[in-house]
Amino acid sequence: MGFAAALLFVGLYGLLTMKNIIKLFIGIEVISKGVSLALLATGFVKKNILLAQSLVITFIVVEVCLVATALALIINIYRHTKSLDVRKLTNLRG
Amino acid sequence: MTLQMLLLAGLVLFSILAVLAKDLIKSAISLAVASLFLGIAFIRMSAPYAGVFEISVVAGLITVLFMLTIALTKAEGDVRESKIARLVFPLFFIVFLLIDVLVMKSLLQKVPALPETAEQGAFGDVLWKQRTFDLVGQLAVILAGVFSVLALFRKRNKDE
Repeated sequence: MGFAAALLFVGLYGLLTMKNIIKLFIGIEVISKGVSLALLATGFVKKNILLAQSLVITFIVVEVCLVATALALIINIYRHTKSLDVRKLTNLRG
Repeated sequence: MTLQMLLLAGLVLFSILAVLAKDLIKSAISLAVASLFLGIAFIRMSAPYAGVFEISVVAGLITVLFMLTIALTKAEGDVRESKIARLVFPLFFIVFLLIDVLVMKSLLQKVPALPETAEQGAFGDVLWKQRTFDLVGQLAVILAGVFSVLALFRKRNKDE
């Protein structure tokens, strides 16, 4: 569980300090690894490994859909702003 | 147990590399290696299906998606990350580890949890019979993902 907490910390640190959108998304991925590790470790300790395993698989499927959508969004953002800097996303144009 | 600890330590190390590396491709590869370690740890925790999913989908497919995005955007030198964030990270991480070791161990024993019940049956029974609604949700999420990607990459008409 300590390792899962460490992964959450690393991901949150990346989210708070990085400016590149892809780096921010890598931070989210690291957090998701921590969550899946916490789920499975809890199942392992509580002897509910089958249930934890099915929850982790559901989580991975949701994660893949999230990644596909977010990366498509990032490519669209790059096409509009010609940059991956989050600070350039402050202007909203209709 | 030692090997498990080494795997988890490697997972944290490569995750740190993925977040702090300057080069985006190195970040993506570090993330894939971290997923590989996590998958092996899952298999060692007697969860082979989750391990295989983690290695094939997260270490494989998601890395390919990241590489494609990095290749399509081609703006690596564009964003300057602050050097202070990289320099200060070890300090914050050591403080966090101290808190993690000192506080979490006592805190975890106080957190209420479901009672321990030994599971029976195979993995397929749990996934198809107990978590049937999850599978419906998964299908809905996959469809939502497909439609959103299609919507994001659609070609615009001249009128729009």
